Amino acid sequence: MRRVFALGENPVTTVLAMASIGSGRLCARVQEKLCQWGQYTRREAYSCVRTKIGSQTAPRVPQERQNEKHSQSLAATAASTVSAGCWHPCSRPEIAGTARSFSTMRTQQPGSLPEYQIDPYHLLEDDLKDVYIYIRDALRRGTYQDDLYEIATYYFDGHGKAIRPMVAILMARAINYHIYKEKSGLLSSQREVAMISEMIHTASLVHDDVIDQSDFRRGKPSVNVMWNHKKVTMAGDFILAVASIMIARLRNNDVTLVLSQVVTDLVQGEFMQLGSKETENERFAHYLTKTYRKTASLIANSVKSVTMLAGADEQLADVSYQYGRNLGLAFQLVDDLLDFVSSSAAMGKPTAADLKLGLATAPVLFACEKYPELNPMIMRRFQEPGDVERAFDLVHKSRGLEQTQYLAKQHCQEAVRLANLLEESPYQKGLIVAADYVLNRMK
Amino acid sequence: MNCINKFMKTCLVRPCGRTISTTSGLNIYFSKTEEKARSNAVVKEAERAVGYPTSFLSLRWILNDEIANIASHIRKLLGTNHPLLKTAKSLLLRNEQATWGLIVLLVSKVAGLNSSFSELECDRTADILHSQRILAEVTEMIKTSHLIHKGLVNITASTENPSDMNFGNTLALLCGDYLLSTSFIEIARLKNFYVQETMSSTLRDLSESEFIGLRGNQNQPLPSKPLAIQKQVDIPLKFGVEPFELENVLGNMKAEWILRNVLGGGSLLGKGCQSSLILANHESHVQELGYTLGRSLALAWQASLERDLIKEETFSLVSAPVMFHLEYEPSFYTEIEKGVYDYASIDYDLIRKVVSGGPGLDKTLELQDEFSAIALDVLDKFADSESKVALTNIIKSL
Repeated sequence: MRRVFALGENPVTTVLAMASIGSGRLCARVQEKLCQWGQYTRREAYSCVRTKIGSQTAPRVPQERQNEKHSQSLAATAASTVSAGCWHPCSRPEIAGTARSFSTMRTQQPGSLPEYQIDPYHLLEDDLKDVYIYIRDALRRGTYQDDLYEIATYYFDGHGKAIRPMVAILMARAINYHIYKEKSGLLSSQREVAMISEMIHTASLVHDDVIDQSDFRRGKPSVNVMWNHKKVTMAGDFILAVASIMIARLRNNDVTLVLSQVVTDLVQGEFMQLGSKETENERFAHYLTKTYRKTASLIANSVKSVTMLAGADEQLADVSYQYGRNLGLAFQLVDDLLDFVSSSAAMGKPTAADLKLGLATAPVLFACEKYPELNPMIMRRFQEPGDVERAFDLVHKSRGLEQTQYLAKQHCQEAVRLANLLEESPYQKGLIVAADYVLNRMK
Repeated sequence: MNCINKFMKTCLVRPCGRTISTTSGLNIYFSKTEEKARSNAVVKEAERAVGYPTSFLSLRWILNDEIANIASHIRKLLGTNHPLLKTAKSLLLRNEQATWGLIVLLVSKVAGLNSSFSELECDRTADILHSQRILAEVTEMIKTSHLIHKGLVNITASTENPSDMNFGNTLALLCGDYLLSTSFIEIARLKNFYVQETMSSTLRDLSESEFIGLRGNQNQPLPSKPLAIQKQVDIPLKFGVEPFELENVLGNMKAEWILRNVLGGGSLLGKGCQSSLILANHESHVQELGYTLGRSLALAWQASLERDLIKEETFSLVSAPVMFHLEYEPSFYTEIEKGVYDYASIDYDLIRKVVSGGPGLDKTLELQDEFSAIALDVLDKFADSESKVALTNIIKSL
């Protein structure tokens, strides 16, 4: 990514310029922190400045004259990065629709910098770019067969959301700073965990696509359409095998156990999806357990692993784990919500997909309260003609969507609370922003 | 605890199974039934040597909730012709044959523990470490999982009952994944990084085996076109995690067969035995013997199976008799090549007739003997024991 800002002589001014904040608004402690950050974050501090996520507002006019020129060019460059075609998850002002009304969540904390927003994707740009390169490398070294390599790397082209490696690396750096302060470089083992978590996730996606017979995901035709089911299944196994070799190479028994548990959880989550429960209460508990196993477990256990690799104690590892668990649950809840509100183009995969697969997700389960006629539909997994459309309508008419969003918000707030237990750093802030992003994303 | 196993065995064991002695003096009648019964007896002796029956359906599995749950889903497939049903049935009724788990246990016992193991720190029954037993089970699980994953159906526009097939595929995928995930957890609990790496690489090899060479529309393997000049290409013994190279292999019929079957099973049994010896703290040269033994045994076994299977209605086109025949008569490839375009057009009767009339079957027997000899040779390097005899008998009775 090209250099967006020119580094001024004085790091403090530069950082202030990037933050677009008048110095009068900062307290001494924060100024000192900014000083420190300016020194070691260097290129990493090329955070895109944004005033509020999810909407465009005019940039603030700073009080210092020398910052004026910088901030204006910042606004221009910020606008240009949006249109430069590089997909950036935080900047979707042009998407209208009901989802936008769900899009604000204030992340103000007492004592924090009011307008200084961290963008984790920019913060971790180099780390994330490398993750996909290394994954492809590891897969390439795993086989001499080109068609296997091709199928296996199909999803690792960098077009996915990369939430899992992003959160893992954020947590790694945040924990490293928390424990070791300035010496917060990323351990190579932590980077490996980020890669492993993305690989395990992708292997499960590949297998899911065989089951769901899905035609496209992430805006591309899904793997199934291009090759046959058997080869695709084997490619999924291959990715899992390579990830497993990498886990062994970490030479850490605890991390190995934690990550192996993830694979089991994923499979059991899928099994849970095959069956269904009778009563409403059971159903919701079943849904939450399934959601934990299918989505949250991977995120929670990978952030727990990076924390363990940093040498943290059990208590700190638990904080990360809970952060990951809450983030993961929120992520899936929003995913289930988006299935009802967004259009196909934005998502990269067709919507009402869950209903069509016979799955009753949170919005539907909430809507049952108001419309009990959904119950028999759930039991027969929306098989009868007209079920899917009717259920879709009823969900929109009910408060199901709102309630789902509220639940997701609860989990995000819990995640933010946990993140605040960590020592302040750009990465720790990034964890908070990530929770916000999970809640407000459009795709 | 053994009553359920006994019950299953009495239902399935043939009446003459227990009465035929294992000594060679009674080999007057060489009928197929007696040959089979003799090999059953060999297996039972071996199982006794390692402490308990190792068939897939041991008590642990029957009482497992997950398996019961899976079984109830599989029942929904009754009446469809999804391959998963056939696989499940053959697994349940496989009580009489030696399993790979049994081989791993025998090899563990044959090699014993390395002198560095103190008497106190190991947890063992019948001279086999608990961790080695787990490894034997893991080897079976990975093998079964691969078998199940191979049983998926490629659904196309012309597939009958696509929704049944899709459900079958879902189950097959999930069962296979369940077995794999359970294997990984068990391996992780062994807390041995070398074993972990090694066993993970077996899964990698297994998945590679489904990509080698030409394929039909249901991913059935087809031989490559025989090269004009057949070379002797060595498929190296790989004790580590590096993948196998394909250069110069495809088209050299014997080498192609060996590579296919190493990837498709030899590597798993070899590395299973190797890992078991790692767990016993043996030095690397001993571990390597375990690998060689397991791998050669798997190859010999496969060759022996293929000699029989060619008599069936349909058979694999990359089986050894066919491969050797192509080596001998490359022009016959045109018959096989039809399968590349339309697998259904393969004329099994013709191929069976031609191959049976050629050197294919004899050469397969030679191949089997070659690998059996390697296995026996390696086995000889270990001290004599009851389990060594049992393993020798198994190899000889292939």
